[in-house]
Amino acid sequence: MSTTIETTGEPITGGDLGWRRYPRLYGRLGLFTLVRELSFRGNFLVKMSVEILWLGIMLAFYETVFARTDLVAGWAKQDYLFFVGCYFALNGMIETLFLENCNEFSNLVRTGDLDFLLLKPIDEQFLITCRRVDWSVAPNVFMGLGVMAMALWNKGWDFDLPRVVLFGLTFACGVAISYAFMLVLTSFSVWLVRNQSLMEMWWLFSSLARFPREIFQRGWAVSLDVVFTYILPILLVVNVPSRVMVKLLEPRMIAFIAIVTIVSLQVSRMFFQRALRSYRSASS
Amino acid sequence: MSYVAEPPRFDLEEPAPAPAPGGDLVPGSLWRKYYRVWRVSLAERMTYRGDFLLGTFLRFLPMITTILLWQAIYEGSGQSSLAGFTYNEMIAYLLLVHISRMFSSMPGLAAGIAREIRDGTLKKYLIQPLDLLGYLIAYRAAHKMTYIVTAAIPYGIIFFLCRGFFDTLPSGPVFLAYLVSLILAFLIGFYFEAAVGMVGFWFLEVTSVLYIVMTLNYFISGQMLPLDLLPPFWVGVLKALPFQYMAYFPAVVFLGKVQGPDLVWGLGIEAFWALFFAVLARVLYARGLKRYGAYGG
Amino acid sequence: MAPIIEVTGLSKTYRVFRKKDGLKGAVQGLFKREYKMVEAVGDVSFTIEPGEFVAFLGPNGAGKTTTLKMLSGLIYPSRGDARVLGFTPWERKDAFRRQFSLVMGQKNQLWWDLPAADSFELHKEIYGIPERQFRETLEELTSLLGVADLTRQAVRELSLGERMKMELIAALLHRPKVLLLDEPTIGLDVVAQVAIQKCLRDYHTRHNVTVLLTSHYMRDIEALCRRVLVITHGKLVYDGELAGIRDTFGQEKILRIEFPAEEPPPDLSPYGQVHGVDGPTVDLRVDRPRVAETLSAVLARYTIVDVSVQDPPLEQLITKVFEQGKATV
Repeated sequence: MSTTIETTGEPITGGDLGWRRYPRLYGRLGLFTLVRELSFRGNFLVKMSVEILWLGIMLAFYETVFARTDLVAGWAKQDYLFFVGCYFALNGMIETLFLENCNEFSNLVRTGDLDFLLLKPIDEQFLITCRRVDWSVAPNVFMGLGVMAMALWNKGWDFDLPRVVLFGLTFACGVAISYAFMLVLTSFSVWLVRNQSLMEMWWLFSSLARFPREIFQRGWAVSLDVVFTYILPILLVVNVPSRVMVKLLEPRMIAFIAIVTIVSLQVSRMFFQRALRSYRSASS
Repeated sequence: MSYVAEPPRFDLEEPAPAPAPGGDLVPGSLWRKYYRVWRVSLAERMTYRGDFLLGTFLRFLPMITTILLWQAIYEGSGQSSLAGFTYNEMIAYLLLVHISRMFSSMPGLAAGIAREIRDGTLKKYLIQPLDLLGYLIAYRAAHKMTYIVTAAIPYGIIFFLCRGFFDTLPSGPVFLAYLVSLILAFLIGFYFEAAVGMVGFWFLEVTSVLYIVMTLNYFISGQMLPLDLLPPFWVGVLKALPFQYMAYFPAVVFLGKVQGPDLVWGLGIEAFWALFFAVLARVLYARGLKRYGAYGG
Repeated sequence: MAPIIEVTGLSKTYRVFRKKDGLKGAVQGLFKREYKMVEAVGDVSFTIEPGEFVAFLGPNGAGKTTTLKMLSGLIYPSRGDARVLGFTPWERKDAFRRQFSLVMGQKNQLWWDLPAADSFELHKEIYGIPERQFRETLEELTSLLGVADLTRQAVRELSLGERMKMELIAALLHRPKVLLLDEPTIGLDVVAQVAIQKCLRDYHTRHNVTVLLTSHYMRDIEALCRRVLVITHGKLVYDGELAGIRDTFGQEKILRIEFPAEEPPPDLSPYGQVHGVDGPTVDLRVDRPRVAETLSAVLARYTIVDVSVQDPPLEQLITKVFEQGKATV
């Protein structure tokens, strides 16, 4: 482990350079950020209230629509409710774990503080995307889970362990694919000066994920369906886990989302490295 | 050529002196200021070139999903009209709401006022005979005009592509009423947020409350769906509130859903709310300033 | 013993885009951009032995920071090669990054809203420092800098000087073999400057870490280094003992004489080289041995309001070194 240079100064002996650092480090980061957020209690409560309001608004919209119809794009009332809950939980996951960090990336690029993160002997992607945990949005995940549970309850759903497991897996895939998208968008900050349109783009992409795929599967929109399922697979992210749970199981889709997850994580990582390299050749 | 962007050299006025008391509000210089703000904002938007093009293109996306979603909803319901809105009218409404919001949204207004109160820069309004509200409304008006101009092209394209959803266009008088409702929406939007900002004289953390209110406003002003779709009780409540004028009302005026005496009445109430908030903002400002001075800022 | 840092022909060239004025220029900028090439660092070569304390001297924009960033692996060079600790820096291997530190003045790499102690904990995890060694090093450094009671305060609440001290601690926690410092004392008050200089000196003596320090303050350099590398306009123009520069530079002094404000100042050219006139103040360049006699002559002849004896500004010194072509590399 030591270098070939014979120098004075005690080298670091012992300690751990392996992969176990990452979960430990992440644990600490999570803890520190939680302590810090709780110290600004008022702010924390306000942010949480806003998130609760958002869920309320989404549910109000949902209720209003289903007061006048029984079926939207082939989704019955409770199934659609499950879909809404799934979206909320997934969005909550991404916002809690990654959004703030990716937002900050463009500031890091602009001020040059990104350099310091590049100096550390640890994977830059990890450090940049996982630095902070936004605990004030974390309750969203639970609220989403609550909504999903309520939908299943209303349906009179019988507990089916394989389904739940598959749901968990595909949900994780959805999170991973969203992460990959977010990473690619974040990487653009290296070339684009302002951050504003980055977050707009994320909002727009996530607004695509918010609806059942079926709304695209007619007329001229079919081309969009193809693009956003097979090329930029944002439509998979909420659709597949929800379908797994409340509709017929489609093994092909499950396999597909698994493959897409692996590919998108790889591609996004490569793109991110490329962006960093570009940053480094341009910085002064 | 230089390596740093300089302000446009084409100026209508000689180098401006420090603002004379009340000088900012003399109409002539106000227009010159608008012009300068406009030119600088336009240039500013275009210097971030990648940003500008991408942002412009990406404004299209949400409308597409909205159109498709409502198509699915209408089909699922088997009806051609929901709460008096046909599918075309629904889409037209959701497009028009964007325009209402262009006029009535005031990003950062309340927060800015609260910030100035908090860090003491408001002191200058105690010393100099400058009018904060007057200055702010002029600035916002200029900014709005800039924004409308820069957004005109992408929005023009969207509306042209969606012209099929507009079965009828308003007649002359109705269109005039529509314009009036938009200007009143601007005033309501401005004075409402200004009033909230003024609360910062008494409660420092007013921006948090604002955040919550504006989130709620998204729904109750009718930006997500026409208020008529809600259960009758809620329709009554929300239409009694001023928030509907920030999005819902101008849109339904354009669509011809408010006719004759109802239209006049509606505009009257809208004007009332504008006046109400204008007075409220003024009163809060005067009281707050006095309190501010008493506490030494 | 092999050199710990070896730099050969290192160069870095940038493309700088030109922005045109006004509205028309901005629209043109949407379609076509002109640029020119700027050479930030041009063909720099030097070696540094383990345990040396070397200064990088030069005016602003000379290329010091760029060179340092290349040695840290942050920037790819356009040409040339460098070896630090046997590694190529821009390959950024973990083993390499574990063994050096970069500290930049007025820049913060600690977590802004966490207490410094938390940042150090995270540091420990990132660098894989064993617990015991971590505690020892932390104690050593906090007592050396006298900030032991400040570590539990949020970094954002500390003064600039205290923050720099924390930065330094973070940089030294993992006992790096190479320490790169970019203007570490810029913007600090004298007390903090001295404290940091002292810490660096003590630490260097104790652990024999190799230090490369950039600055444009002579005072930092004088306090800490014997060997100096002078860079201007991206080129290395001097590599040698500090004393060598002092000889060059110590030969002249600038007498700044302020005359009463009512009349224009007299012509002092008989007494020395008039360096500049600013209102009632005259700057006069005089050889060091003749300062005393010049001063007494002027004082005898004229009434003056104020006088000070100064060193010529650094840029002048550099230019002179450059002109005299004193490259020893």
